[in-house]
Amino acid sequence: MTTVSRSVGPLLEIQGLKTHFFTQDGTVRAVDGVSFQIGHAKTLGVVGESGCGKSITSLSVMRLIERPGKIVEGSIKLNGEDLLDKSDEEMRDIRGDQVSMIFQEPMTSLNPVFTCGEQISEAVQQHTAASRREGMDRAVEMLSLVGIPDAKRRAREYPHQLSGGMRQRVMIAMALSTDPDLLIADEPTTALDVTIQAQILELMRDLREKNRMAIMLITHDLGVVAEMVDEVVVMYAGKVVERGDVRTIFGNPHHPYTQGLLHSIPRLDERVDRLEVIKGTVPSPYNLPTGCLFKRRCPFRMPICDVAPPMRQIGEEHTSRCWLTPAGEAPEVGADPTPEEAEAAGEQLTVEPR
Amino acid sequence: MLTYIIRRIILAIPILLGVAIISFLLVYLAPGDPLAQFRVPNVRPEVLDRLAEIYGFNKPLPEQFIGWITNYVQVWNPDAWGLSITYRRPVLELIAERTPATLLLMGTSLALTVVIAVPLGMLAAVKQYSWADKIVTTFATIGYAMPSFVLGTFLLYIGAIWFRVFPFGGMTSSLRVESNPLDIAWHLALPVASLAIQSIAGWSRYIRASMLEVLHQDYIRTAKAKGLSANRVNFRHALRNALIPVVTLFGLSLPALIAGAVITETIFSWPGLGSFGVTAIGQRDYPVIMAFVLLGGIAVVIGNLVADILYGVVDPRIKY
Repeated sequence: MTTVSRSVGPLLEIQGLKTHFFTQDGTVRAVDGVSFQIGHAKTLGVVGESGCGKSITSLSVMRLIERPGKIVEGSIKLNGEDLLDKSDEEMRDIRGDQVSMIFQEPMTSLNPVFTCGEQISEAVQQHTAASRREGMDRAVEMLSLVGIPDAKRRAREYPHQLSGGMRQRVMIAMALSTDPDLLIADEPTTALDVTIQAQILELMRDLREKNRMAIMLITHDLGVVAEMVDEVVVMYAGKVVERGDVRTIFGNPHHPYTQGLLHSIPRLDERVDRLEVIKGTVPSPYNLPTGCLFKRRCPFRMPICDVAPPMRQIGEEHTSRCWLTPAGEAPEVGADPTPEEAEAAGEQLTVEPR
Repeated sequence: MLTYIIRRIILAIPILLGVAIISFLLVYLAPGDPLAQFRVPNVRPEVLDRLAEIYGFNKPLPEQFIGWITNYVQVWNPDAWGLSITYRRPVLELIAERTPATLLLMGTSLALTVVIAVPLGMLAAVKQYSWADKIVTTFATIGYAMPSFVLGTFLLYIGAIWFRVFPFGGMTSSLRVESNPLDIAWHLALPVASLAIQSIAGWSRYIRASMLEVLHQDYIRTAKAKGLSANRVNFRHALRNALIPVVTLFGLSLPALIAGAVITETIFSWPGLGSFGVTAIGQRDYPVIMAFVLLGGIAVVIGNLVADILYGVVDPRIKY
């Protein structure tokens, strides 16, 4: 890795990523043309319901997609180098070294037959010239860094001897033991109770400052997003539907789906009888609607929604995949998408009046 | 750990007593009796009565049982397990003579099974649905489905009659020649192959299933995300976990190690415990049958105990 590629351009740049699963029942476009970037030492939140493709996007970055899944198109550039061009061996050197990942389930993500210390040490030994002993020393150091008391003793314990929160700390210690440039955290707090959640988030914020690393935080918890991230990517049915910095997304969401997500969070300062929900369910991946993927659930549905909207500029550094005007109003009646937009949507314009 | 083992051994006593009572009753209720071979016209009834008296067959059942069991526990005494009716020699002595042959046969086949079935099962799991997997699966299905008397006879036919490379049976070429390891190995080949093919078939399927389950666990993804090589993930992270349930299989195989493979030993006239036990059943040689059944019971109890102890060794989550 050269210093030049470090200083110029984003750390991670995903361009038109398509990861499809070829099952017997048909092709599932789990990730279908996703693009976003993460700057050095920045935190990006990837938000969306279950099954929207956020985890598959992150596993694609790690190149850990297994059959029947396959990355069919796009590029994933880390410091300017496309990870999809790397050989398996080169990819192994990157995994766990430049890019680390922590997972949702701390209870099952650690191997039950090895001690916590051994598992951290293994990552260190894999990517540095460290001996077993040095690896264990580093493991103890990392365990105390992530706030595990009596780290020396804990390093010799097996995962089942630790609580869920402790195990997630061990996972974080393992992921950070090699000083990665990018940490992918796939719902790191979902399986934990709220007090432990807060502690883990606090820890991640802390370590982000210390190590100057970028984080790709995958979550469906908007509260976590508000606390942690600089920029937000909202995904729906395998596509990015809105992108912007965290203030814009929370203060001025454009896409009806994002608005729906934000409306469905309970607030402490308001009393409501019922929480708002987004009506309907995520469309079946085998039976996606034509045009806008969200139209069946959208309260603003218009005739033009039968044409797939492209990502459109809403404001500075704010894009949304919706035909609504930047102000959030319906486009003028009869207004057609510009030819460029239509081309980007890749579909014939067959808008039927209703 | 030690207290656990002692507790398990004490708990085994009532189990073994139960085994003893049931096997005693089973043999007693089975048709035919030990004096049947003397019940021919030129043997007078008085002689038969006298024989029944000598062997205690005329006593009430509970008394026979108590007499038998009190003798039985005195294993330091060569006569403790009684005299074989057929051989007129102490049963303990006869069993001691035949144990090494069985241990050799079963031990070799068990070792061979582990050495071959573990890699095969792993291969089939790691390359699921590949050609290698399909070949292993086909072989395993055939091996598992074939009864041992068919497989044994088949191997005997091919090895000894068709190609004339292996002996027809027995353990040594000549009874007088002192046992020569090479000669024994030559005699061992076919019966071991016959036993191993069947157990490899079962074990490889079991290991494949266990490995497949482990390969889909979250911690395997974690290991991959660390940047470990496929070999390291499969051999270090997956295999260690996949072998935990296999310990059960190992524990279940231990009784066979002692009781022997009845059919295979008979086909290859292997002078082990299995063929000995079967012959004894045919001859209604009660003392030998009892010893055979009880030995099987003891072996099952020991096998289970060994499996439980091994669990504690291979799985850090289990502590005694």
